[in-house]
Amino acid sequence: MLHIAQIFSYGILNGALYGLVALGLSLIYGVMNLLMVAHGALIMLAAYTTFWAFFYTRIDPFLFLFIVTPLFFIIGWILFKILYQWLMKYPEGEKIRNSLLISFGLLLIFSNLAILFWTADERAVTTLYTGKVIQLWGVRLPLIGIGGLLLAIIVIIALHLFLTKTYFGKAIRAVSLDHEAAILMGINVNKVCLVAFSIGFALAAIPGVLTSLHVFNPAISFDLTNKALIVLILAGFGSIKGVLLGGILLGAIEAAGVYLVGTPYREVFGLILFVIILMFRPQGLAGKKV
Amino acid sequence: MKEKFLKEILILFGIAIILAILPIFLKKGYIINLIILICLYTALSQSWNILGGFTGQISLGHSTFFGIAALVFRYLWASGIPPYLALLGSSLSSLILASIIGFPSFKLKGHYFAIGTLALSMIAIITVQNLLPGVSFSPSEFLSKYSLIPIYYMAIVVGFIAVLVVIALSHSKLGLALVCIRDDEDSSESIGINIFKYKIISMTISTLIAGLAGGLFSYYVASYYYYVPFDLGWSFDPVLISFIGGAGTVVGPIIGSICFVILKELFAISLGQMNVLIFGIVFIFIVLFLPKGIIGVAKLSLIQKRTSVISKEA
Amino acid sequence: MLEVENVDAHYGDAQALWNISFKIGEEEIVSLVGSNGAGKTTILKTISGILRPTKGIIKIDGINANHIPPHQIVEMGVVHVPEGRRLFQEMTVLENLEMGGYIGRARRLKEENLKWIFEIFPILRERIYQTAKTLSGGEQQMLAIARGLMSDPKWLLIDELSLGLAPLIVKNIYDIIKEINHSRKTAILIVEQNVHLALKISKRGYIIENGKIIAEGIGTELLNSEMVKKAYLAMG
Repeated sequence: MLHIAQIFSYGILNGALYGLVALGLSLIYGVMNLLMVAHGALIMLAAYTTFWAFFYTRIDPFLFLFIVTPLFFIIGWILFKILYQWLMKYPEGEKIRNSLLISFGLLLIFSNLAILFWTADERAVTTLYTGKVIQLWGVRLPLIGIGGLLLAIIVIIALHLFLTKTYFGKAIRAVSLDHEAAILMGINVNKVCLVAFSIGFALAAIPGVLTSLHVFNPAISFDLTNKALIVLILAGFGSIKGVLLGGILLGAIEAAGVYLVGTPYREVFGLILFVIILMFRPQGLAGKKV
Repeated sequence: MKEKFLKEILILFGIAIILAILPIFLKKGYIINLIILICLYTALSQSWNILGGFTGQISLGHSTFFGIAALVFRYLWASGIPPYLALLGSSLSSLILASIIGFPSFKLKGHYFAIGTLALSMIAIITVQNLLPGVSFSPSEFLSKYSLIPIYYMAIVVGFIAVLVVIALSHSKLGLALVCIRDDEDSSESIGINIFKYKIISMTISTLIAGLAGGLFSYYVASYYYYVPFDLGWSFDPVLISFIGGAGTVVGPIIGSICFVILKELFAISLGQMNVLIFGIVFIFIVLFLPKGIIGVAKLSLIQKRTSVISKEA
Repeated sequence: MLEVENVDAHYGDAQALWNISFKIGEEEIVSLVGSNGAGKTTILKTISGILRPTKGIIKIDGINANHIPPHQIVEMGVVHVPEGRRLFQEMTVLENLEMGGYIGRARRLKEENLKWIFEIFPILRERIYQTAKTLSGGEQQMLAIARGLMSDPKWLLIDELSLGLAPLIVKNIYDIIKEINHSRKTAILIVEQNVHLALKISKRGYIIENGKIIAEGIGTELLNSEMVKKAYLAMG
């Protein structure tokens, strides 16, 4: 019994991380219909950045968060201006296809760059609190995991407030609901896309920092992209609200998978679920847009 | 139209014959090797081209079909089955896999299909990494008198078939239907084209050829980790090649493969790991600025020539 | 004055408008009528900037608007209420209105504008926190128009106002439009398939067919003309 509770607790804490992982992807997709499959690679790059920052300056990852997040926002801004502004000129069908392809290319470029510069060796940031746990009713909960959960909750609340209480945030929602109608409101849709894209990048930095505290290597680019896609479909494409829940759901499903078939196939479980849901309910469990 | 078809077939035959008699004059293993690679990539890219270029279904998971064919080929071959029969078997295995997981994925439109196939390829490689962690070897009798020549001839056969199929496709009603689906699914449906049926046909042909390529790979590479043919690079390269040359054309993947293999050789010598990086950048560049590939650029300059002639006459 | 001068428009290679010319003066109610596919929506799109003219000029108060980005055209006082309403379905009535008042000067006047808009459309105040998709057809159309008014435009272009609505509701909305024109001095361009209703309320009207303007004149005269009677009958 305790064993099950333990596995599922890990699952939920992982799930919080997965939710964060998917958030940026969800935002960018919702606003621009652009599936940034390179998102996992961005998170990986953020993890490496945090790792090397820690290596050279011993700065705590959670503190470094405040540096790396704006940094990635700026990188996203620049990347969008260079690459994707070109794309916007193409007609809709080609635009989606081309952006997918470009993301795919970026995914491979980034992961290979990482291997090139930093080798495929595994890394992890080890701090004072690595490995520390707290016990709650006999269940061991890693401090880092709890930190991740708290961080996820804070970020989601902050994002929610931004999207519901500010003009620009509402404009972002408007653009993701009806692009053309948003134009007619006098909203500068190009600017909205640019900012949303940059926020998406910034949202990659956050799980990146968390990832650095676990063992990672360049290959996680693909794993994380997977996770993000799975969460996206669990939450429903285009729905930001469901992302944290979707992440936790995935965490729970993986926990079930580990319990039933063992650790090596943990990934596969989620992926198979993904493909099945994709086939029978492509708009996702809670989503509307297809 | 018929003459063009015959002309293309004749050119293809001609090239095949030239390639077939080449080893008599050319002893340099290096060039033979390159031609094998070009044929391999041509076949795999044409396979993607049929589904992605002609029918507009962007698959990011062709590595799955490539990989399974490689596995099956190795298994059949090691069991004593002659190589060309094993090739047939491996091709069929791709098709079988496709019918289990590929066909249902046609419920997905557009980029959902792409990420669905991407997910599939990730499932495949993780599963294989876990189930078959070892190395796969060619049968020992073959290794002892290893020669590139039989591989060379299989490569020509595989490449020939792939290009032949695409030529036939581009001149057939089937090909026309596929292109209609690519350009506008809804309109195609309204003029009576059974979308699902044609997508299935397209994928069938595509995976059969990908299977041929996978079998060839297994014949060619003496030893490899089991997961290697499932690597996502095998999903990426045919897309890249088709785009470089021109997706949806017959010659595109051929030109793309030639460029790719030659450039890869050059880069591998000078840059090592970096070559993936370079190709990634090239890919993005092409998607943004030359989405119709080299063929597109060639066609454009042809059109410009014609219009300038016309205006001169006027 | 909002002027459209000799405008052509294309969708890709296909031409949709030929030599369109008309104008809307300040405080006028003008109609643009024609059957489905005649080009009415296309004209509105070229004015609001979603589509660009391939020939001719769109002039807003004398300024060439051909290359002005759509969001700035809204700032110049031209608001296009699109066909099918295109409300932000998942957003509340209030949020939709806020989006209508997105531009700078509209934000500053938000409370004021909400006040007179709720006077004209009291039902919207009742439903203020409901999501747009829960509103009835007529209420949605009202919300769409109200949303357009949030930036207090000089010219309000309304596309297919009556589509899918019961006649009584349509009449109600048309009365409201007259009121808006009268009290707020907003010029209104009514784009409609329902020729009769549109021409009745308009000072001037234009008839468009197959991408070309085939007639123009004073509202009532046009309504009684032979051509309109023929075309009107043809439209059923």
